[in-house]
Amino acid sequence: MTDRIIFVCALLLAGVYFWGTAQIPSLELGDPLGPKAFPRMLGVGLLIAAAMLLAEILRDRKKVKAGGEDSGALRWEAHDWVVLAVVAWTAIYIALFEPLGYMLATLIYLLGLTGYFNRGRHLMNGLTCVLFVAISYSAFTKLLGVNLARGIIPF
Amino acid sequence: METLTHILNGFSVAMQPINLWYTFLGVFMGTIIGVLPGIGPSAGIALLIPITYGMNPTSALIMMAGIYYGAKYGGSTTAILIRTPGEAASVMTSIDGYEMAKKGRAGAALAVSAIGSFIAGTIGVIGLTLFAVPLTSMALKFGPAEYFTLMLFAMTAVSTLTGKSPAKGLIATILGLMIATIGIDLQSGQARYTMGIPEFQDGVGFVVVVVGLFAMAEVLRGLEGIYRGTSAEAMKIKGKLWLTREEWRRSIGPIWRGGIIGFVVGVLPGAGGTIASIMSYTTEKRLSKHPEEFGHGAIEGVAGPESANNSDTAGALVPLLTLGIPGGGATAVMLGAFIMYGVQPGPMLFQNRPDLVWGLINSMYIGNVMLVILNLPLIGLFVRLLYIPQGILYPMIVAISAIGAYAINGSVVDLWLILLFGVIGYIFDKVDIPVAPLVLSLVLGGMMEQSFRQAMTISGGDLKIFYGSAITVTLLVMSLISVLLPFVIPRLRALGSKGDES
Repeated sequence: MTDRIIFVCALLLAGVYFWGTAQIPSLELGDPLGPKAFPRMLGVGLLIAAAMLLAEILRDRKKVKAGGEDSGALRWEAHDWVVLAVVAWTAIYIALFEPLGYMLATLIYLLGLTGYFNRGRHLMNGLTCVLFVAISYSAFTKLLGVNLARGIIPF
Repeated sequence: METLTHILNGFSVAMQPINLWYTFLGVFMGTIIGVLPGIGPSAGIALLIPITYGMNPTSALIMMAGIYYGAKYGGSTTAILIRTPGEAASVMTSIDGYEMAKKGRAGAALAVSAIGSFIAGTIGVIGLTLFAVPLTSMALKFGPAEYFTLMLFAMTAVSTLTGKSPAKGLIATILGLMIATIGIDLQSGQARYTMGIPEFQDGVGFVVVVVGLFAMAEVLRGLEGIYRGTSAEAMKIKGKLWLTREEWRRSIGPIWRGGIIGFVVGVLPGAGGTIASIMSYTTEKRLSKHPEEFGHGAIEGVAGPESANNSDTAGALVPLLTLGIPGGGATAVMLGAFIMYGVQPGPMLFQNRPDLVWGLINSMYIGNVMLVILNLPLIGLFVRLLYIPQGILYPMIVAISAIGAYAINGSVVDLWLILLFGVIGYIFDKVDIPVAPLVLSLVLGGMMEQSFRQAMTISGGDLKIFYGSAITVTLLVMSLISVLLPFVIPRLRALGSKGDES
């Protein structure tokens, strides 16, 4: 099942890529190929790779019919919700990164994740997160000269 | 004679106090990165690039190489004590190393992996020193067509040899090449696939792709593991951190053989440390008088693979430094680092910057000595890292990744890209699409297109240029073989087994 989805995604991506390639304006002065030729080759390459995948799918189907195991089953399980929640929490972190600043946004993000994945150790989590944020901000901005978002904190 | 002078000068560069410090810093961080799950050497090197922008390129590259080979040392510690390879190439060490730890011989397993890594790592660097110059002279004959076919070979080999399905490897390769086409086309000045996002005009930075695919995806997998209760506990080190006379006797052969296997496999594109360690493991099992001990704590099963995956790193630097073409994901990131510092690896580098290239190579001799010291008397220090709760460690990796990505352009778009590629890396892992080919082709994509277009300009648009010389024809044939091999071998095996039955 997963391989069939990958096959369809590859075809769709090749289609979108060909469309995107057609949108590139052509100026082929001194360059016999222009900016479109290589991308076109890649689009064709992706179609060939998709065809190879189709051959593998058909070969595997024969194996399954002959009594082999279907390894491509797709199931949504409880842990997938957890991964999805982490992705959503990270998206919120990124959205707040500049408005709140590195220190505050990171502190909230870390407290949220450690509170769930390192449960029951509130003091340890709180202290570690505060120390990590303070040390990493000072080390990167003051010692290494890295520019990090300040946000609402004035230093 | 001139080369010998350059090599000796390289030692004086490597021995400068500042470079000794960066060698130490690199191998120290490499060991930590190898021990900890989450950030592997590829993401570690990528994250350091924006932070070390202003540094002298020689020192920065010495430090990054230190991370690359240092991580191999650290990876074995995790493999032995928690049966989870801290670094992919340590996968074979986790079999017998963990069994040895269960029998109270963790100290001996850690000692043999450190000593084996040191001896084999040094064999690898000697090989690199010996083979670099002849390959460089050959590479001087390369024009754009030769470079294009060489990159084609590296990519086809990596895409079909990495992972379970050649088709999926090829899809990953083409995806990487497609991402590389995003941005302003250098020859025509036309914007391609930028979708109106100004940050995309300079292209999608490989740093964010690597950090997303390797670090962020690993965080998602790790947190999922905590939720499912599948994350492992570290074992305590028991027994002396040294070998008995009998263990020495049994280890020395596998160390030498592993060193040679690792170097040879490392030079070839696509194979990498994991294949080197598997080959060493199977070789030792075949040569052993007690093959039944393998899988139950045979010291040869630790000594061989650990040696192989360390000399592999020096082998992998041969095509990177002499031809400018990496043969795998981690060396592709190294190439990205070279380019970021304005240094183009390849034959001209040996002529124009012998101080840099030989300083870098010779720092690896020193780095290996530092690593054996770090990984024997000081191993207890690194093992403590394994006791950090993973529920704290993984979220911090995201924060470190955010700092590294934001430091590049000061743009939040790079953070979104890390998340996007993290999700892609997580899904790819679930559906068995390898990420190393994507990283390799992303780094090589721009160069590959330029070589192709330069070759076509030289030939006036005639494709004959790609099969006009012995080098290009050989490389094209090798590319074709690497694509067809995964399809042909199973058929040959099936034919063979049918023949046996009849």
